[in-house]
Amino acid sequence: MPSFRARHHIPDLGVGVGFRPKHAADVLDRGGAADVRWYEVISENFMSPWPAARGPGGGRPAANLARLRAGYTVIPHGVAMSIGSVAPLDDEYLARLRVLVDELDPPYFTDHACFCRASGLDLHDLLPLPYTKEALAHVTERVKRVQDAIERPFALENVSSYLSYRESEMPEWEFLAELAERADCGLLFDVNNVFVSAYNHGFDPAEFIDAIPADRVVQIHLAGHQDRGAYLLDNHGDHVRREVWALYERAIRRVGAVSTLIEWDENIPAFDVLAREAAIAAQHRDRALDPAQAVAMEVVP
Amino acid sequence: MSLAELQKLLADALVEHDSIARSPAWALAAAGAIGGSARMKPVEQLDVYREQFWWRHVACVAEDYPALVALMGQQPFEALVAEYLDAHPPADFLLRNLGAGLAEFVDARRPDDPLLADLARVEWAFIDAFDAADAPPLDPNAVAAIPADAWPAARLVLHPSLQRLRLAHPAHEVRAAFHRAPREPLARVSPAATHLVVYRDARELRLHQQTLDALASSMLDRLAAGEPLGQAADALAESGRGEEVQAQIGAWFTRWAALGWISRVVVD
Repeated sequence: MPSFRARHHIPDLGVGVGFRPKHAADVLDRGGAADVRWYEVISENFMSPWPAARGPGGGRPAANLARLRAGYTVIPHGVAMSIGSVAPLDDEYLARLRVLVDELDPPYFTDHACFCRASGLDLHDLLPLPYTKEALAHVTERVKRVQDAIERPFALENVSSYLSYRESEMPEWEFLAELAERADCGLLFDVNNVFVSAYNHGFDPAEFIDAIPADRVVQIHLAGHQDRGAYLLDNHGDHVRREVWALYERAIRRVGAVSTLIEWDENIPAFDVLAREAAIAAQHRDRALDPAQAVAMEVVP
Repeated sequence: MSLAELQKLLADALVEHDSIARSPAWALAAAGAIGGSARMKPVEQLDVYREQFWWRHVACVAEDYPALVALMGQQPFEALVAEYLDAHPPADFLLRNLGAGLAEFVDARRPDDPLLADLARVEWAFIDAFDAADAPPLDPNAVAAIPADAWPAARLVLHPSLQRLRLAHPAHEVRAAFHRAPREPLARVSPAATHLVVYRDARELRLHQQTLDALASSMLDRLAAGEPLGQAADALAESGRGEEVQAQIGAWFTRWAALGWISRVVVD
């Protein structure tokens, strides 16, 4: 059977960055940067603020998105679907997401393998799931429903986590591989999250990378994190760390040429700093894909 | 524990105001569900998420109300937001809507200082105007084609970004002063009935504010409610200012159309 990427014609977009309003003039008025080939947007930042039946939002966010879409492939990346919640899937959320996805016409859309909603609250965090058979069956069913509702390939991202559950019956990578297989979805592989979680829980990040089903990875995320002593915090607030670049090369060697994205959400730097991070990612990617063409690397510590 | 029980445990922990890291009850609850690590106890791991919950939500509301933060001071504002979040726990998947009820909450919580609620209203009006739906500008040819005798029955469709506020203070001046000089001490303003419109221009998509006199404001309110022009003018005339309304109505229409406040004229 052809791979998930082949079946769904998932393109390799090269290296992109998360589009943030702070960089709108750099990207939309000044042409962006050659090293930034595509953009990701946080879905919820561009979904209508009110029920889908009332129509889309407007103003600057809508205008920026239309201009961005006119020049680039734009992938919507959600943070609030709550695919793993025991609360029912929110039909209103899916309706608004559908409007956005249809507008952007991306090759796929993404969210996280986590839950955000519990006890009637939207907790606005990517809370980890227990890696149990119960959770696996629950999330599998919901992924299928989401794919039916949006009618577009869907990929789930591994989250960074600061706790694990006693109930877990399998490692995270086994849970994700099984989920992707059963639900027939893609994976968005966040290398920094693997590094953060590996440190926080004491597993070998290489084991995670080596176990991920390579043919289902549609995209890779890279970001910086913060060392808080007893744990690492995935704050997307700094340069990608040297150890994460090394893991990224390992991941690329395993999954092949897939789209890669730099995330930077706190202490957001000037656009040229972000573009340079993208250029470094491209160098690592090239080296991992073709060791014969390895170039001297300057890695930002 | 089931998936549902674990998710409830996390939700219960996250909304705790204070650190749970030293709570014996939470230590017991966490130990039964959370794995812990070589460096952190289970309850400490849970507390990381609790800390993030409050940091994220308070920061989100503060970002929407920077002038109110400046007027109140960071600590009192954060204490107020913590109370607000208790009364209005996050229940919308969009963080964008988290602060929507703050002005009403401040009204009830701080009746001693009504300027605070007025300032909150102004700041939220800018949020709503920012991403309100788009609408095409008024077509002058369509307006010119409306027969003179059809105008009394005509209804005006206002631009979706238009936010109309009735305030007890010129709180928009406080907001403007803050944005002119964010690091300067913020002066308070004295009470004065204020009719304010916040809107977005169609060309640059920039946000603006404009005060109106009471009569123009009443007219705009009636038109926004869908009253035909003639009916709205007659209603205002009953207040004894009929001549003034007749003298102004043409100028109002011209000015509001030029500002982009009117998107369409509907003639039945």
